[in-house]
Amino acid sequence: MQAPLALDRETSPLPIVRLSDEDLMGGVAEGDERAFTELVRRYQGRVTNLVSRVLNDREASDDLAQEVFVRVHIHRRNYRRGSKFSTWLFTIAANLAKNEIRRRVRRRNWFSLDALQEMLSDSAIQLADPKEGQETALQRGQLQEAVGRAIAAVPEKYRVALVLRDIEGFAYEEIGQMLGIPGGTVRSRINRARGMLKRKLQPLLRKEGL
Amino acid sequence: MNCRQAQNLFGAYWDDELTQAEREWLEAHFAACAACRTAYEDLGRTLELVGGFPRADVAPDFAERALARARRAAAEPDRVPAVTPRWIPITATAALLAVLGTMVYQWIGFPQGPARRDAPIALDERIEQPVRISAGQVPPAAAVGSREGGSSGGAASGALVAAAGEIPDSLFDHAEDVEFILDAVTLRKGRAHTVVRAPQDQPRAQQAVITF
Repeated sequence: MQAPLALDRETSPLPIVRLSDEDLMGGVAEGDERAFTELVRRYQGRVTNLVSRVLNDREASDDLAQEVFVRVHIHRRNYRRGSKFSTWLFTIAANLAKNEIRRRVRRRNWFSLDALQEMLSDSAIQLADPKEGQETALQRGQLQEAVGRAIAAVPEKYRVALVLRDIEGFAYEEIGQMLGIPGGTVRSRINRARGMLKRKLQPLLRKEGL
Repeated sequence: MNCRQAQNLFGAYWDDELTQAEREWLEAHFAACAACRTAYEDLGRTLELVGGFPRADVAPDFAERALARARRAAAEPDRVPAVTPRWIPITATAALLAVLGTMVYQWIGFPQGPARRDAPIALDERIEQPVRISAGQVPPAAAVGSREGGSSGGAASGALVAAAGEIPDSLFDHAEDVEFILDAVTLRKGRAHTVVRAPQDQPRAQQAVITF
């Protein structure tokens, strides 16, 4: 049984940062913008990372992650209090990411592999440890670029499950709830995605001696 | 188990979801099979690379922009989910109940009350009641005509009164009741077949007699 939500945040016995996600969502449902902002702060990194890895498009991922939270706000009264907030949130995120992939495929506006390679290379170099030598950073960047390309090459329905499991670390049951599929199907999709990734990355792993 | 079965367990082994028996068997297989051991190591390195993929950057003003965008979305009526008016489900339920009630009423039928069922049918007084006329009797019209004629009118009316006392309630003569004897019939494929002959060594089948 969850503690009742204190509607007046100023007189709440708990500071807003200590309220549970579900309590904060109860506040959002009643129009509390501070509760909404706190939820965004808690999950902005994971949501942005999820859509970024699924889309493999850093610029678009910011916009899509924003849209995820806008949808949370619009449909705030549809959230059922007893359910886990993160599962509901990532269900929205996964659906939006899948829709975006399909929209791009329909419009044939998928970015070129060259642009992807350049983008991933920039990202990897920026994220590399500055203390490392330039050669090591480049090697790491190339590896991350290859991993990004390999993930992007996995078909959408396997890719989303793979990112939720192996990057975001969700349990199989939660992924099943998010994607609306049984746990056995989740395991099957993830195993297939892992096999595809391994086949794509195996030459690189051997070459780099990893 | 063979190498294919071992490879099917790789994912569960990585996720630490194997039973103790499966784990022991797979580790024994790894000790004996270099190919499977190498394949699993490749999978492990792949998943470590994926798991270690650098996380995407988040802009510092992400939360503020999300809030502003949510406010704008709330101001756009086409983005706010439409709320179904409450009278729609109530009206739909009432209409459904009415339709169901009508169907049940037609299916069961409305039971007639005993007073209505047993009430005698009122005859219209204007309808002339049939009169049975025996041979040799004078028809009422003729009797009336003769009465108008003025001769033997008293004797004719007396005979009519006597004849009226003998008139039965209905046109049927109950002294000659009619019996309909229904032979036993059998139904085969929806068509009635009369049993022509009953077996001689068995008692005769019961007959249904309807008497009017």
